[in-house]
Amino acid sequence: MADAQIFTGKNVEEAIAEGLRALGLSQTEVEIEIISRGSRGIFGLGSEPAQVRIKPRPVSAAPQLEPTIVSAPPSSEAPQQRDAGRRPAAVSEAETVSQVIETSDAVSAIAETEDAEEVEQIETAERSSAEEEEQLAQLASELLDNVVRLMGFEARVVAEWREPDADNEQRYLLLDLHGKDLNLLIGRRGETLNNLQYLVRLMVNQRLHRWKNIVVDVEGYRRRRMEHLSQLALRSAQQVAQTGRALALEPMPASERRIIHLTLRDHPDVITESSGEGERRKVHILPRKSA
Amino acid sequence: MEELIRYLAESLVEQPDCVRVYTKETRRETIIKLRVAQQDVGRVVGRNGRVANAMRALLEVAARHHRKPVLLEID
Repeated sequence: MADAQIFTGKNVEEAIAEGLRALGLSQTEVEIEIISRGSRGIFGLGSEPAQVRIKPRPVSAAPQLEPTIVSAPPSSEAPQQRDAGRRPAAVSEAETVSQVIETSDAVSAIAETEDAEEVEQIETAERSSAEEEEQLAQLASELLDNVVRLMGFEARVVAEWREPDADNEQRYLLLDLHGKDLNLLIGRRGETLNNLQYLVRLMVNQRLHRWKNIVVDVEGYRRRRMEHLSQLALRSAQQVAQTGRALALEPMPASERRIIHLTLRDHPDVITESSGEGERRKVHILPRKSA
Repeated sequence: MEELIRYLAESLVEQPDCVRVYTKETRRETIIKLRVAQQDVGRVVGRNGRVANAMRALLEVAARHHRKPVLLEID
């Protein structure tokens, strides 16, 4: 039986559609588990993709990829399924999914309000055997090591599983590169590092057909940068609060703007918003109007 | 540089055997040509060219000592 695969999309609905397209199956032929509903981020920034795990439903009689089943609308499918045991299950699955799709529209900036049940599911999935994590760490390290070497750098990969933190909602694999003259791997505002991370994630995903949270770093750059940005945010907020005048920060990539927004999310005196397009998009810090 | 693109592409596709990479030199540029199986094109291009652009960004760094600009073209 085929394994479960993980698919991502802008929201749960898209992630499911993507998965069904990739597998060539209809909703009634699969089991769907929502891993993350994703988040649109703050003011539409720093959004996280929604993730679903899709597993082909075991069907004993007919082969799964039979085109008539795939293309048949759900209503015409019901009479075909004489098997009393199977039909209600399939129907209830479809209902669950459509419910999820409805509610996903209401999901906005606060994606943290996930069901406790879902969180539990994630945890069980994440707590899969230590052996599996070790294997993944080895595979990912090897891929990253090869890429960096082919780019002409001498670096050592230090892999470590980390518990969720301010910047990562799930347990993640940290691949930290150590070596001489690795600044070029970081690039302007970490953009080369982000590209490297993106490709390593894709390569691991292609090999394992499973999505895992992998963070690539160079000698703790991300952590230092994050601390720097939160301090910058707090200092700027203080200034705005004192002078009552808005200020704009330098243009930053989405991942960095997100840190500013998150740091000041609950600040009593200021609010944040972004303006500008692409490379020039930046965060503005404005005095909060006392209601 | 050719090796870098070959390695990335082979790791991203379903059919690594169909990955072809070759280099074309012009007076002003070095062009790395990448060809993959029809069904794998999306995997090396990505939505809005995101995967291709990530590969270009790494290629640019890898080509830091090269005397001409290095371009990646996907057929």
